[in-house]
Amino acid sequence: MNQLKELVMAGKAKEAEARTRELLAKKTEAEVILQKALIPAMDEVGELFQKGEYFVPEMLVAARAMKQAMTVLRPVFKEKDIQPLGKVLVGTVKGDLHDIGKNLVAMALEGAGFEVIDLGVDVEPEKFVEAVKSHNPIVIGMSALLTTTMMSMKDTMAALKSAGIRGQVKVMIGGAPIRKEFADEIGADFYGRDSIEARNFARLVVQNEA
Amino acid sequence: MQLAASGLRMPIGADIILHQQPDPEAVLLDGERLGRMFADTAVRFKTPLAMVRMDLELERNLLLRSLGIREDEIPKFHFSGGPSEGIRSIIESGFKAQLTPRLKAQLDAIRYVSGCPGLFPVGMSIGPFSLMTKLLADPISAVAMAGSGLVAEDDPEVNLMEKLLQVCSEILQVTIGAQLEAGAKAVLIAEPAANKVFLSPRQISKGSDIFERYVLEYHRRIKNLIEGHDALYMLHDCGELTDYMVEKLAGLKPALLSLGSSRPLWEVEPMVPKDVVLFGNLPSKQFFSDNIITVEQVKQTACEIITRMKALDHPFILGSECDVIMVPGREREITEKVQAFMEVVCG
Repeated sequence: MNQLKELVMAGKAKEAEARTRELLAKKTEAEVILQKALIPAMDEVGELFQKGEYFVPEMLVAARAMKQAMTVLRPVFKEKDIQPLGKVLVGTVKGDLHDIGKNLVAMALEGAGFEVIDLGVDVEPEKFVEAVKSHNPIVIGMSALLTTTMMSMKDTMAALKSAGIRGQVKVMIGGAPIRKEFADEIGADFYGRDSIEARNFARLVVQNEA
Repeated sequence: MQLAASGLRMPIGADIILHQQPDPEAVLLDGERLGRMFADTAVRFKTPLAMVRMDLELERNLLLRSLGIREDEIPKFHFSGGPSEGIRSIIESGFKAQLTPRLKAQLDAIRYVSGCPGLFPVGMSIGPFSLMTKLLADPISAVAMAGSGLVAEDDPEVNLMEKLLQVCSEILQVTIGAQLEAGAKAVLIAEPAANKVFLSPRQISKGSDIFERYVLEYHRRIKNLIEGHDALYMLHDCGELTDYMVEKLAGLKPALLSLGSSRPLWEVEPMVPKDVVLFGNLPSKQFFSDNIITVEQVKQTACEIITRMKALDHPFILGSECDVIMVPGREREITEKVQAFMEVVCG
C-alpha cells in the first residue's frame, strides 16, 4: 500500500495504475486502496504544497497518477455501489476560458473521494442553475482568472437565488484576482486561496461544519 | 534610465482609454484610430512611452487562423498533435496572407505612433513560453514531466510541448519583427506564465534546466532580434516568481523589467542589476474593488514604493503591476485609483 502511495506522490501514473491492479489481484478491497493509499497520498501532497515544499506541477502530476489509479477502482465501486463522499460542481464562469485553477480544484476534490461534476469553462449562470437542479451537489466551486470575468460570479449567485436554490448548496469561489472581500461582497460562502483550501472546505461541508 | 530618473509614473493603461471610446471593438480594427488612442494614452498619463495595448490572444489567434481552425473553435482550441507541416511555409511567408485584422491594425497603430513627435512607440507581444501554454490543454504536466527528466523521444506530451514552443518562438520572431519594422523603438514581452505555477521550483532546485531551456533561451533570441533593430527589449512577468526566477529574468538585462505584485519591488531590487529599470508594482488587478483596496491605500502603497526605491537608489518607474484592465461597472473605482497614484504627493 505504501508503494502505491509513494508512486502517486511521485506522479508516476502508469506505475500507480499497475500497482493498483496488483493490489486488487491480491484481493485488497478497492475501498481500502482508496482510503489507505490514494487519499493519504493526495493529503500528503496537499500538506507539502501548503508547506511550500511541493508546487502546482507536483500536485498536478500526483493528481493525474491518482486519476489513473482510479480508472482501475471506479468500476469496482460501481459494481459494489460504493458512494462518493459527496458531489461537487465546478466550473469556470461565463466569459472566462482559463481552466488550470478549476482543474486543480477538481483533482484535489477527486483525490479526497468526492465525485466532481466539471461543467468546463465559460459556464453561463443558467448552466450552473440547471446543473444544481439535476445533480444536487453539496458544493459549487466557481473559478475566474480575469478581473473582467469575475463579475459573472455575482451573476451566478443572483441566478441561484432567483431560482430558489441558493439555500440548498454551498458556494466557494477562487482564482487569481479573487479575494475574501469579493466573496463576502457577492455572498459566496467561502473563498479558497488554492485547491487544498477548496478541498478542505468541501470536507467541512460534508461534516456539517461549514 | 532618463525617464526613471525624472520620476516618471504611469500605468500600462491603453485598455483604460480604449474603454472610454464609444466603440472599442471598432477601434481595435482601425490602425489609425488605434494609433491615436495609444498616443492619447501616453498624453493622458504624461509619459512619452506610447505602449501598445496588452492583448495576449493576438498571436494565438494568428497561428490558429493560419492553420484553418474554425473561428468559433479558436477560443477553446488545444493541440492534441503537432501543427501540420504547412505551418513552416506560413511562418516563412511572414503570415502575409493570413495577418489577422487586429494584428494588422496594431502594426498600423505603431506606424501612426512612430510618426508622432515626442512619443516613443513601445510594441507588445506575448512571450513564447506563455503562448505555448495557451495551446495545450495541460501544459503544466508536460513541463513537469520534462522537468523530471523525460525527453521528447520518451513522452508524447513532452514532445508536443517542445514542438509547439519552437513554433511559438518562430511565429514571434515574425510578429515582433513586424512591430519593429513598423517603427517600434522598444517591445515589451509579456511572459506571465514563466512562474512557479508552470515551472516547478522544486525541480529547478534539484538541478532541472527547464527555466533555462523553455524560457530564457527563447528570450535571448527575442532580445537579439529586438536589439538588432536598435530597439529596447523590455520584459513583463506578473506571475509568482522565486528568487531564482527573478535573478534569471533580470540577468537577461531587459531595459525595463515589469514585475507583478507578488513581491514588493524593494525586495526583488537586490537581485536586479542597476542598469535594469524596474517598473511597477502597484496591485492594479485589485483596483476594481474599494473593499479590497481604497484610494487612500493606493496612495500609501505608491509612497512606500517611491520612498523605499529611492533609498535603494535603483532606477524605477512607479506603475501598475500589469495592464490596467477595465472591469465593467467598476470604471470609477479603477480610474480614481490610477489617478491617485499618478498624482499623490509623498511627504
